[in-house]
Amino acid sequence: MAAPNVLVQGNGEMLEDELTVSTRQRDDVAIIDLVGDVTTFAEEKINSAYQEVTAQGAKQILLNFRQNDYINSAGIAILIGIVTEVNRNNQKLAVSGLSQHFQKIFRMVGLAQYADIYQDEDEAVAGFAK
Amino acid sequence: MLNKKSDNDQNKKEIELRLPSKLGYEKVAMDTASSLARRMGFDGDRVESLKTAVSEAVTNAIEHGNQHDAAMKVVVLLTVHDDELVISVTDQGRQALQADRTQDVPNLPEILHQASLNPGADKGGWGIWFIRELMDEVEFTTAPSGGNQVRMVIHLEQP
Repeated sequence: MAAPNVLVQGNGEMLEDELTVSTRQRDDVAIIDLVGDVTTFAEEKINSAYQEVTAQGAKQILLNFRQNDYINSAGIAILIGIVTEVNRNNQKLAVSGLSQHFQKIFRMVGLAQYADIYQDEDEAVAGFAK
Repeated sequence: MLNKKSDNDQNKKEIELRLPSKLGYEKVAMDTASSLARRMGFDGDRVESLKTAVSEAVTNAIEHGNQHDAAMKVVVLLTVHDDELVISVTDQGRQALQADRTQDVPNLPEILHQASLNPGADKGGWGIWFIRELMDEVEFTTAPSGGNQVRMVIHLEQP
């Protein structure tokens, strides 16, 4: 076999925490903004935000994704945990802002059966109001 | 057995990454594969599928094969052919991948049911399934070195 063209040898530290999570209220919808990567490192932040809005009495929750170039299977598992809690607490969940690829991933996994998928926040808030 | 391109393919180009077994480095492999695929002419949807498959394969190697031991390497070999991109991801095999795990098809309703009974229940197991669903060819083997190896192929559709 021919020698590889490029050899990359890594041994340093890697930035792990690349997600910013915040919460806000719009009409009757509690919005959890997720900006950045949704991976195993996101678990505590996402669960804390969910518990915060739930403690405030939220019945309609929107996970509003932005700049999510990277959502992996660990991130999907975190979101499945949120779906479990949403079902347990009789809340309604929707997601917005996902790229076409991650909308496809959500549908492949089956999450679309448990959370309506909207293109953007405005569409989602209008959808909750119907 | 997958139909493998000859090692004598004169036009092939190889790029090798040797990554520490630390989560986060899978993004290096993902970005490299993405860059190569775009240069080859894959469309955006296929590139996104490739990125997910590569990240899952490397993450599996880090978490399971090498058990998060940063001193152990994950080797990613990307081979560019005229009409396809072949990516092999090899770990050092501290933990062997069980053959039956490679055929798992996760069932979300069942996962949700189990989680409703026990919030700590495993909600994962999607990674290998993503790889199988998103790539054109996938093969799980044991490398000559003894590590786990996954070989993925994505074909370039001719216009």
